[in-house]
Amino acid sequence: MHTYEVFLKRDGQEEYRHAGSINAPNDELALLLARENYLRRAEADLLWMVDRAHLLVGDRDFVAPNSDKPHRDNDGLLVAAHRKSQREGM
Amino acid sequence: MTPMTPGTTEFLLAFADDEHLMGQQHTEWIGIAPFLEEDMAFASIAQDELSHAALLYAIVTDEGQGDPPDDRAIDRLAFDRNADDYRSAQIVEVACTGWAHALVRHWLYDTAEELRWSLVARSELEPLRDTAARAAREERFHVRHADGLIDVLVRTPDSAGRLAGAVNDLLPLATGLFDPVAGEAEAVEAGVTSAPFDTLLPEWTDRVRARFPDIDIGAIAAPAFTGRARRHEDFAALMARMNEVRSIDPTAIW
Repeated sequence: MHTYEVFLKRDGQEEYRHAGSINAPNDELALLLARENYLRRAEADLLWMVDRAHLLVGDRDFVAPNSDKPHRDNDGLLVAAHRKSQREGM
Repeated sequence: MTPMTPGTTEFLLAFADDEHLMGQQHTEWIGIAPFLEEDMAFASIAQDELSHAALLYAIVTDEGQGDPPDDRAIDRLAFDRNADDYRSAQIVEVACTGWAHALVRHWLYDTAEELRWSLVARSELEPLRDTAARAAREERFHVRHADGLIDVLVRTPDSAGRLAGAVNDLLPLATGLFDPVAGEAEAVEAGVTSAPFDTLLPEWTDRVRARFPDIDIGAIAAPAFTGRARRHEDFAALMARMNEVRSIDPTAIW
């Protein structure tokens, strides 16, 4: 069995969205089983599937959490406070 | 002349009964198919067959007028007739308790069904024509589904052997799908269907041989013509299971 990831998209500008996964012995059955498992109530107009073995994966070390980089966060609070004081000082 | 003659009614009932009982039999694999995805897929395919049955029964109940479906009238046809009045083929009545048999029946039935719809694709009966167009869109996926599973299983000696056993067990009953009801001749004459179904028996047997080239099938005998009047011994238990919940309160609305 292979595990496939299932992505569905409706016509229009909506993007493909991950819908779930499915086990199947090969590509043909993966498509047919996804059709009956994920599309039986007209959930989408288009289907993408990818064998999980074919996914490019960035693991945790690669992605390296950026939680200790506050200098990259700018919520604009300091700028807003500065502008307010400038305005009120005038 | 309206195509809705008594012969047409019997012809439609035979088709509807086959679809109804085939759908019911497939649904009984929910929860016990070999893997989760197949549970859902097989039951979903079953629902397609049940919807075909409902559409065919509806043509009988409203005599082809295309009225909104009368669910109670459809249920009466589907569940409340005497066993002798059903016109199903024994292949859809027999209990298949092993997966190999269920899968082989799925393939044999859907391959025949695809051919059967092709005969009514240009029916004089408009609602039947519409139903055929809808069913044809679904049937090619049903056959692909059965083919996909068989393609995988025939590569393993154990499962190939089980499939071969199932083919040999089920072929004699499956040819009974081509056993016409008495009313078929009238349905052909009225243009409800373009030809007797058994004119496609050679095409079906060619497909069976191509599907199972390694199985010694021997000659595929034409069905004994019974007019589909006799039920298989498993029919009563099937009906009892189907009506188990409904019989608790026949007036309930679902």
